[in-house]
Amino acid sequence: MVEFAGWHMPLHYRSGILREHLTTRKHAGLFDVSHMGRFIVRGKNRLPFLQHVLSNNVAGLEVEESLYTTVPNERGGAIDDAYLYRFFEDEYLLVVNAVNREKVLRHFQQYLSAYGNVIFEDQTEDLVMLSLQGPAAKEILQKTISRGHLPEPLRNELAITHIGAARVLVARTGYTGEPLCFELFINRKDAVMIWDRLTDLGVQPAGLGARDTLRLEAGLPLYGHELGTDFEGNEIPVFASALSRFAVSFSPLKGDYVGRPSLENQFAALKKIIDRDFTLIDALPRIIMPVALIDKGVPRQGYKVFQGEHQVGYVTSGTMVPFWKSEREGIATRLTEEKGLRGICLALLDSDLYEGDELQIEIRGKMARSVVVPYHLRSEAPPFAWAILWDKIHQKTRDVIDSKTREKVRLLLDRSIDNTIWRQQYCINLIPSEQTPSKMVRLLSVMDPVCRYAEHKQVMAFSEAEIFYYQGTDFIAQVEGLLNTEICQFLGCAQVESRVVSGQMANTAVFSAMVDYLNRADRKSEQRRIRKVLNHHLIKGGHLSAQPMGALRDFVARDPKTEKAAVVNFPVLEDNPFQIDIPACLEVIAEHRPELIIFGKSMTLHTEPIGEIREFVDTEGIDCRILYDMAHVLGLVGSYFQRPFEEGADIVTGSTHKTFFGTQRGIIGSNYILDEPDFEFWEAIQRRAFPGSVSNHHLGTLLGLLMAAYEMTFFKDDYQKKVLANARAFARALKTCGLDVAGDPDISYTQTHQVILRVGYAQGPEIARQLEENNIVVNYQAAPEEEGFTAAGALRMGVQEMTRFGMEAEDFQELAQLIYDIVVHNRIVKEKAVSFRKRFLEMKFCFSAQQFEDRISRLHQLI
Amino acid sequence: MKEFSELKLPDNVKYAENHEWLRSEDGKARIGISDYAQEQLGDIVYVELPDIGSTFKKGEAFGTVESVKAVSDLYMPVGGEILSTNTALEESPELVNSEPYDEGWMIEIELTDDIQPDSLMSRDAYIESLKG
Repeated sequence: MVEFAGWHMPLHYRSGILREHLTTRKHAGLFDVSHMGRFIVRGKNRLPFLQHVLSNNVAGLEVEESLYTTVPNERGGAIDDAYLYRFFEDEYLLVVNAVNREKVLRHFQQYLSAYGNVIFEDQTEDLVMLSLQGPAAKEILQKTISRGHLPEPLRNELAITHIGAARVLVARTGYTGEPLCFELFINRKDAVMIWDRLTDLGVQPAGLGARDTLRLEAGLPLYGHELGTDFEGNEIPVFASALSRFAVSFSPLKGDYVGRPSLENQFAALKKIIDRDFTLIDALPRIIMPVALIDKGVPRQGYKVFQGEHQVGYVTSGTMVPFWKSEREGIATRLTEEKGLRGICLALLDSDLYEGDELQIEIRGKMARSVVVPYHLRSEAPPFAWAILWDKIHQKTRDVIDSKTREKVRLLLDRSIDNTIWRQQYCINLIPSEQTPSKMVRLLSVMDPVCRYAEHKQVMAFSEAEIFYYQGTDFIAQVEGLLNTEICQFLGCAQVESRVVSGQMANTAVFSAMVDYLNRADRKSEQRRIRKVLNHHLIKGGHLSAQPMGALRDFVARDPKTEKAAVVNFPVLEDNPFQIDIPACLEVIAEHRPELIIFGKSMTLHTEPIGEIREFVDTEGIDCRILYDMAHVLGLVGSYFQRPFEEGADIVTGSTHKTFFGTQRGIIGSNYILDEPDFEFWEAIQRRAFPGSVSNHHLGTLLGLLMAAYEMTFFKDDYQKKVLANARAFARALKTCGLDVAGDPDISYTQTHQVILRVGYAQGPEIARQLEENNIVVNYQAAPEEEGFTAAGALRMGVQEMTRFGMEAEDFQELAQLIYDIVVHNRIVKEKAVSFRKRFLEMKFCFSAQQFEDRISRLHQLI
Repeated sequence: MKEFSELKLPDNVKYAENHEWLRSEDGKARIGISDYAQEQLGDIVYVELPDIGSTFKKGEAFGTVESVKAVSDLYMPVGGEILSTNTALEESPELVNSEPYDEGWMIEIELTDDIQPDSLMSRDAYIESLKG
């Protein structure tokens, strides 16, 4: 036990610092952090007050969210760093470092008088704070919850739950770098009960020593080391710490606040430094960087750092830190039972240094070689945090085995043949985004147009005739026209654009067109972006292209309040996160009035409520466009699934190669007609397709797609019915086997071609690999309550491809049993899978080869 | 932390006031730190030992032992020339914690002084000094 900021605390438990650190990284650690200062801030003027004394934008903090901030001083240094939690509408919980509790209070007193109506309540002694961190933390905490649920699986999310009879405030925050992180605020009287319950479930208690080694490894700043005043009493600028980018806001909503001018100078210097421009370096002469030892030794706070003869800084925090060695590569990387030790530190170094620079740390008179590294630990592959050793970052490029070209040619041909046979004849293909095109479609895709150009544009001067820039284009021009007509009929709309070569490109062209259209009156000023978008969040199954980190990024405005992309997400039902909660959705629409609503998902079990939303939007008079990205379900358009334009969609985009029979391309459809004012939007879409997105629009697959469109038109009735019936039968069969099928049992789990199976948190990748070894190809998927794909606990399957090869409901039932045998009993059923596939080699829902045999042969010969 | 009664304090070694122990045989002596010392230090993460052939006087610092939190000097209980060092401690410094008197030994010296029995403590004298 040691004295720490006036509290009596364990440096470590019997287990020791190293063991506590290692157990947190592999299992779970429990820290009593009740020494931290905790204040409740209430009162009418709480928001303007906090906006003035904290560096982050408190106005952007919604209920059930938290943020990291500094308490800045006028000079641009930090009085403390802190976390602000908003569990309730009308109050904030501010958590500060124990050692600064009095100092922060005194600092706040100075400004409190200027703002009446702010109430400060010190709850440090009434509220206990525990930190539960590590890969097993979620599972263990889940076991203790008696009422309510854990926060959303994103950092900084909050929830109010109950453990036993005790109310507990839970935050997904932490100081260890563990992606599965929970901080619990508990009433004093309930604390021991909860501590005991967690330790009884096998959590390792851990003390201050491990807390420090864990946060050092994670590169997190500690007041008195990387922030505030250092060991010599010098003030460290706030932006010296890498995390300050998340802690400081210059939002217009904040107005003037303590330290703002100095912080702005530091930020201006930082932006230039990132650009390797050191003209403003005086405002930020040194920056905290992670440094790893190359030689043996232990770097510690205060040790000088040199580059040759010249001192470039000093160590702010450092020690020898343990880690688990890992084996294998990529997503199969695993922690072993073997441990190692490494000397790592954070150092305040001249701002013109960079990753890879070799430095020397003076350890008791001797120089130890070390190197600036980008990070010591990575947290983006939950459920584990992964130690990154500097020599792995500097991996040598693999030696390329240079064999003779003829040998390479032979090898490539052989392997392509093997791969095609394997996938087409020996595998059961259940990836929902894939389809096998018919022989005709494939052959047409490699006919002459595959190497040609046919760029064209409408020219108003020629009465909007399509003018082609190249010669030899009559045939393909016709093909494109016929394709557009065919898709118009299929979708039930007036216009189709088919030059986009993927579903994502189709979406990007629509987003770009929207920005173009919104600015049509003023082409001179900075073009404004889409003010607000409503979409499906990635973790709820939304597609990448509709996310701000995907294709949407450059087309959506920043929300000055949240300082993030102006995107809100469809709320989902509590008991079925795969389905939109319509009443809650209408509230979101009324509040945010989005300019663009994007329906459609890549993990999808339900139809989209286009009709209800269209009606509401029209009644409320909201000026917005409804886009239905039908990527996965394009081939299901019709009376058995949805008729998007009838239901009220403005635009439909889609991939032509998932449930649709086509080659891999995209399409855009709309109902805008000439002479309507909105038709300008359609023209913008055409322009952003060409020349906005493509120059050559891949004529080979265009030709193949026309044939596929004929196939769809002809066979869709039987095909669509069969796909939907098979999906439901498959889902029911998997459930009957005893597997955990996601979705609503009352409707047989799915309204689409997809079936989603839960296989256990973070088990997805391994089980998908196991299935592939048995020739059943599915993909692993993170379910809505999971953090990301490395923690994926579900499998996503689609019945469309195998339905096309003639599988019926009974066949899917048989397949369900095979899958069960693999997933639950670990059986090897590869032989069975191969002979199963042998029964389904003849493609249905296409024009029979017999009838067109001679023409197909001709196509073969012409290649 | 171990209870006092749980500490290993063998009587086949002599103890110095800075918590080193010494075990002599045939003109050579093996030196390490006591179980009490390693308990105080916590998890040992690094041991710096001298070069073979160097000589140190009694009471001189011959190396350092580092835990997660702190660096401590190691002092010669008697003078001598370093004959060998325990290289196993490079990969496994934790041996000092688990086997302070055996696998966790640190240096082996040639004795240039005769061992002065009064200057090193017997086990009982060491225990007295810890309690006092």
